[in-house]
Amino acid sequence: MNNNLNTESIRQLLNHSSAQLGQPTLARLCDARTQALARYDARSTTPVFAWAGSTSTSSGHTTGSHRSQYYWAAAVLFVALLFSGATYWQHVIEHDNSDVDIAILTDDLPIDVYVE
Amino acid sequence: MLRLLTPFIVAALLCLPAMAGAEAWTELTPMQQEALAPLSKDWDTLFKKQQQHFLKMADHYPTLTPVKKERFHKGLVAWSKLTPEQRRRAREKYQAFSKVPSEQREQVKQMVREQEASKAASSVPPVMPAH
Repeated sequence: MNNNLNTESIRQLLNHSSAQLGQPTLARLCDARTQALARYDARSTTPVFAWAGSTSTSSGHTTGSHRSQYYWAAAVLFVALLFSGATYWQHVIEHDNSDVDIAILTDDLPIDVYVE
Repeated sequence: MLRLLTPFIVAALLCLPAMAGAEAWTELTPMQQEALAPLSKDWDTLFKKQQQHFLKMADHYPTLTPVKKERFHKGLVAWSKLTPEQRRRAREKYQAFSKVPSEQREQVKQMVREQEASKAASSVPPVMPAH
């Protein structure tokens, strides 16, 4: 194997100014930087939904359909939490009323008196 | 895909207690069946939440006197057919009435009994004289 790249030559290569790079190389580097920044922005704007799955396509951009899926999933979860909480709360209320209900039903006045 | 389905699975699990099936009449204990006997026909049509509420009430049944047990049975069907709002108002009225001094309460009760008696008398069809 040809070992022409000694320490000195590597130092010289690293010290090359960007001005010395060719135009196509500079353009490719610029594209890569732009893509990396775009991917970073997309990730940082959707941190809440990151747990639900990847938000990036192969090009690195979040699509509208993906985002709407996460909104739907979050909405379903929210509604389920509300429903579950309401059911539990109603159960607690009904449980607390059983004593009063027994008292009404066993009172010497008919229940019609208390019902409009 | 699995990660996307996770919220839906969690949602379904959260809703499970509310969606759980109602208890069949035949699964009740003999004591519960005795306490809730007037509801036996309609029991399977009640929501689980209503059933649980009546089962809580049935727990008190063995401690009632025979007179109160009879009253309980008498009012149970009518009570089960009320809307939640009607029940809430009835509870409020009962609790407010319980705070009235006992003398006044007795007067009101006497008045209600008289009204009930006159209503019952007026609903009895007059006896036709025999020819």
